Amino acid sequence: MSTSTTDRPPTAAGEPAGDPRNAPRRTPLAPGRRNTRERLAAGGFMAPAVLLVTLFLLAPFVWTVHRSFFSDTRTSPFSWFENYTLFASDPALSRSIQNTLLWVVGTVVLPFVLGLAIACMTDSSRLSRLARLCVVLPYALSGSAVAVVWNFMLTTDGAVNQVLTGLGLDSVAQGWLLTWPGNTLVMIVANAWQATGVAVILFLVGLQSIPPETLEAGSLDGATGWQQFRHIVLPQLRPVSIIVIGMSLVNGLKSFDLIWVLTQGGPGRATETLAVSMYNETFLELRPGAGAAIAVVLTVIVLAASWLYLRRQLDVKGV
Amino acid sequence: MSASGRTSSAAVALARRRFLAGVAAGAAAVTAGGCARGASTSAQPGTTSISNDNATWDDGYRAAGRELEKITGYSLRPLSNPSVTSYQQVVQMTLQTSKSSDLVKWSSGYQLKRLARAGGLTDLTPVWEACAARGWVRGTTREAVSYRGTAYGIPLYESYYVLFHSKPVFAKLGLSAPRTWDELLHCAEVLKRNGVTPFLASQVGGWPAIEWFQELVSKVDPDFYRRLVAGEASYTDDPARQAMDIWHDFMRRGWMTSPDFDQARGPGALKEGTVGMFLHGTWQASGMSAAGMKPGADYGAFILPAVRGTTPKSVIAESGVFAVPSRASSHEAAMANVGAWLHPAVQRVWSDFLQDSSANPGVRAGNPVVAELQRDIARNRRQTLVRYWESGPPSLIQGNTNDLGGFMAGQTSPATTLRRMQERAGDEWAAWKRDEA
Repeated sequence: MSTSTTDRPPTAAGEPAGDPRNAPRRTPLAPGRRNTRERLAAGGFMAPAVLLVTLFLLAPFVWTVHRSFFSDTRTSPFSWFENYTLFASDPALSRSIQNTLLWVVGTVVLPFVLGLAIACMTDSSRLSRLARLCVVLPYALSGSAVAVVWNFMLTTDGAVNQVLTGLGLDSVAQGWLLTWPGNTLVMIVANAWQATGVAVILFLVGLQSIPPETLEAGSLDGATGWQQFRHIVLPQLRPVSIIVIGMSLVNGLKSFDLIWVLTQGGPGRATETLAVSMYNETFLELRPGAGAAIAVVLTVIVLAASWLYLRRQLDVKGV
Repeated sequence: MSASGRTSSAAVALARRRFLAGVAAGAAAVTAGGCARGASTSAQPGTTSISNDNATWDDGYRAAGRELEKITGYSLRPLSNPSVTSYQQVVQMTLQTSKSSDLVKWSSGYQLKRLARAGGLTDLTPVWEACAARGWVRGTTREAVSYRGTAYGIPLYESYYVLFHSKPVFAKLGLSAPRTWDELLHCAEVLKRNGVTPFLASQVGGWPAIEWFQELVSKVDPDFYRRLVAGEASYTDDPARQAMDIWHDFMRRGWMTSPDFDQARGPGALKEGTVGMFLHGTWQASGMSAAGMKPGADYGAFILPAVRGTTPKSVIAESGVFAVPSRASSHEAAMANVGAWLHPAVQRVWSDFLQDSSANPGVRAGNPVVAELQRDIARNRRQTLVRYWESGPPSLIQGNTNDLGGFMAGQTSPATTLRRMQERAGDEWAAWKRDEA
């Protein structure tokens, strides 16, 4: 059923012309001219947004694609796909892709599982407000501030190792940010600590929108707590889950600030993700062509992952 | 709908149009303001702006600026961006625009050559020659500030890489500043035995990973170091292997701090006595003072001894420069100030602020520890070697610095690290020479 405003009869044209109170101020336009005017007006309203997106998003992207086909020597000759072959030949970029995949998995799974668990546990408990505040608070902090705090904890002589040593667990104490893949994994945990807050908020909204009658009906039919969660709650959280996973997916692919402040992609480029590699190649190694190629590949991956995921999820919903 | 309703609707439409017109006008004003020259880099009478990547030096620039004002009529107005990475990007981008500052702090050597190659810098050859004629600058530093024979920089400071050490800790353990390699090893052993980490080594921030590499290679064979950084020797040659093996051995023995130890904590660690020796530029002397340590009493400094007694003595030197963008808004004032920068009166104030040696050889450091180092360098006729960071094409240095960081974290062996560095050196030197041709 459509509720589109365009289906409403046009008031001015539809009212009796003989009624002086309803007399139109202007001569009614012919349908063709009216459509043109409406299109022009719509175009006028859309123009600023379209212009800004074109100017600041599409044009730089086109320029980036163009730049990625030119080499990084002083004269920058056209070099076809030479910059893209770095993905096969440069071990730092191979490691960067591995790290990006780890980030994607980590940033999707951890916030989703933790967010859902915390939301379910705090939804109806007495201390739910306090618990929610504690979990949501990190989300309000900037990524850089979070990274600085985690840096105090994760350096070799930082808080984590001091606590472990204090507990007599010297053998567990280590350079958390120094060896791969441990350094990438602890950064993913640090990211999850911050990102779980928004997942909790979204899941709480989802939980509160579930009609209590459905749960009552389930309990009358003899469903246990887990069965109710599995067959009644979880299916009704599907729209929220789509949003949480979609957001986490994109956040994982573009991870930058936490890594940059904690390790700057090091040591030895071991913790770079594609976003950090793009920055490193362009601004530190001074190879804008290679940086542009990484940017293009990253953009394609983000768009493809988002499109594949959303298309599948939204199709199921029938939207 | 009633007539009155239409009137109201028309009024709303009018109000909306006014609102939209207002918003559009506001946006246009903001856009126009954004396109205008920023106040920070615009010409301000009696001053020259100076882009700087070390905010703790701002007071020093202002103090030196007051001396400059007496000579040229223009003071200095520092504009700081404390992130080195972001600073370099901002300078490289603004150099091509009219928003560049009047003076730019930059590294010497290939970092400056690359900036000069991109265009946008003023030829400072006449200024250099005038300074050299007055004896305000060492002739040997000319190459480090030149590109294709033209000088594009005037030395801003001159620092040496030395080992700061805690005098109270050394005294307590019956140690003195080592003069030979064996004495150095003895100091390290005693410190380690007494629960003090002998050496501070770090790769936090990237570039500090070069410090021990350049120091050990040059103390194994300074001539090899000179040939290596000029692209005339291989990273896989014996002296480089020897240096890396020494470094690896130091780490294996637990003589070095963890590579994620932040150098900013160095002075504090020296004061607390948790670290015995801190390899860094002499510009760190001001950081020692900031930590409440007195030169000569709380800390001393020495140059790392050569590995063999017969090896020629050397010291790694770092020299920053002032460059003048050709589109500087107060170009004339900038040229006047850069011409007077090495004036002894200005350098006296600047050197006292930094507590470091001046680029003007006639100005003695006010800090007694640094002054003693200057005497050591002159007395022993130490070869002055350019710091690794400025010694080669920037892409090569950045890549090799990353490799050294990986080595410090234990990711690669000495041999693998050197092999990777050599492979990169082959590619990057070829690219640089191709570009030059």
